[in-house]
Amino acid sequence: MSQAAKTNYILNLYPTTKLLFTLFIALSVFIVPTYWYAYAMLPVCLIIAIAAGQGKEFITLVRNGLLILLVFIFLMQAFFYPGAQILWQAGILKITQEGILYGLNMTSRILAIGSAFILFFRITSVKDFVYSLEKLGLPPKGAYVVLATLQIIPEMKKQTSVIMDAQKTRGVETEGTMMVRAKAFLPTISPLILSSLASTEERAITLESRAFSAPVKKTHLYEIYKTKHDTVVRIGMLVALLILIAGRILL
Amino acid sequence: MNSVIKISNMSYKYPTGKVDVLKNINIEIEKGLLYAVVGPNGGGKTTFCNVLRGFIPHFYRGDLRGEVLVNGKNIVESTLGELSLSVGFVFQNPFIQISGVKETVFEEVAYGLENLGVHPDEIRTRVEAILKLVKIEHLRDKNPFELSGGQRQRVALASIIVMEPDILVIDEPTSQLDPQGTEEVFEIIQIMKEKGKTIILVEHKIELIAEFADRVILLHDGEIVMEGTTQDVLSDEKALSYDVMLPQYAMLGLELKKRGVPLRKIPITEEQAVEEMNWWMAERGVRI
Ligand SMILES: Nc1ncnc2c1ncn2[C@@H]1O[C@H](COP(=O)(O)OP(=O)(O)OP(=O)(O)O)[C@@H](O)[C@H]1O
Ligand SMILES: [Mg+2]
Repeated sequence: MSQAAKTNYILNLYPTTKLLFTLFIALSVFIVPTYWYAYAMLPVCLIIAIAAGQGKEFITLVRNGLLILLVFIFLMQAFFYPGAQILWQAGILKITQEGILYGLNMTSRILAIGSAFILFFRITSVKDFVYSLEKLGLPPKGAYVVLATLQIIPEMKKQTSVIMDAQKTRGVETEGTMMVRAKAFLPTISPLILSSLASTEERAITLESRAFSAPVKKTHLYEIYKTKHDTVVRIGMLVALLILIAGRILL
Repeated sequence: MNSVIKISNMSYKYPTGKVDVLKNINIEIEKGLLYAVVGPNGGGKTTFCNVLRGFIPHFYRGDLRGEVLVNGKNIVESTLGELSLSVGFVFQNPFIQISGVKETVFEEVAYGLENLGVHPDEIRTRVEAILKLVKIEHLRDKNPFELSGGQRQRVALASIIVMEPDILVIDEPTSQLDPQGTEEVFEIIQIMKEKGKTIILVEHKIELIAEFADRVILLHDGEIVMEGTTQDVLSDEKALSYDVMLPQYAMLGLELKKRGVPLRKIPITEEQAVEEMNWWMAERGVRI
């Protein structure tokens, strides 16, 4: 992480604290019945993202990952949710009050939970997250698989373009319409899969040569710690959760 | 003799193979010596290394007969984890020797020590020292995936020797290196030897073997056809019939001998050659 990251309180929180926050949001939108609360979680996440210096990336991910899905779901509900209070009708198409309400409820929750997870992965490095999981008892093999998979993805992307170029020089069309690209997909992907299968065996041997299964307890050169900020945030979330539940029961 | 590895009547066949790739191997590896393993391609050198590290039979199954003792313990009864404490193995192919979970060369080299449970402070000191020794300090913050073949080979070597195993098995560590890099790797191997490590080195560069190795093992078609001191093996014409080059000085010496020049011994290094020639000329009353 960069020097700036080291001084950012939000980025410096322990990964499980950040995960708890995400779960807190996911839970709270089911406790609080109004959709405007759930919608309000988007700006909340955005503010946190901005404070962590990740505002732009956050917005882009929400837009690319959630927007179309939400619009689609909303329209589906508005048009097809059964209801009596008809607001607009044309032939068999009708929009009902209930449909709109249901659509708002559903999309607001998906948006809130989606944003919370996007926020989590924007402000938590995979390395930190896996480290905390390992501390929680995830076996080293599991931790390795998660880390290796995530590190290998950018490598795979590079390899894909190398293979694509190779296929192009052999006359395989790799650009153009969907159909053309679909046809190019198989010859591109199969060497990739074959080579990664072959390297699994080698990878296992490499790990062994680096004492992966040595009968001792591993240490970590890179360590992260919980600080008093984590405690404060966790207590804060607990209090907020209790208030929400109390409010739900009393009101 | 203080032997760290003892192999008796060992033969091995790969699970997919039809014939034995190693045939009736008998050898004792003495502590603190540098053994060079030579032989033509496909002779079984890498397979031999895999046996020493226990990857055969623990990883590659196949059919292993005979007995292989490492530090007195049969490798069949040891686990790979136990063997990792005593035998370090640097592979022939530098492109696969990356953990795949580390973002910098520094962390990559530290990985084995983390697995060995070394305290982080000590890890830092040891990694620093090795980066310096292997001359890759300038690569410390680079992504291991983005290294050249030669750079990877050095990182691979560093990653293993930092773990300080007593026995080092090194399979063609200089295949991707330029002459300068090769020279440097041999210097590192020399330093390891001075630290008392037992080293089994597969290498084709015969001049360097002549200079650095204590003993030479010649593997041909899965058999140890020659074994002995570097001087004996590398001055013996018989090696040529097993497709192994002799050092140019040995070739010169053999040629001279054939032509009736009475050398005391066949030189295998430049130094010896100069010495022999001086002696011979002095014998004949030539002044220089
Ligand atoms: N995984 C394997 N499965 C089956 N056969 C193998 C395997 N690896 C090597 N062999 C065979 O074993 C024989 C010895 O191979 P080995 O790799 O040990 O040779 P080498 O002396 O290291 O050669 P080189 O100088 O090319 O590295 C070869 O005939 C090879 O085809
Ligand atoms: Mg080999």
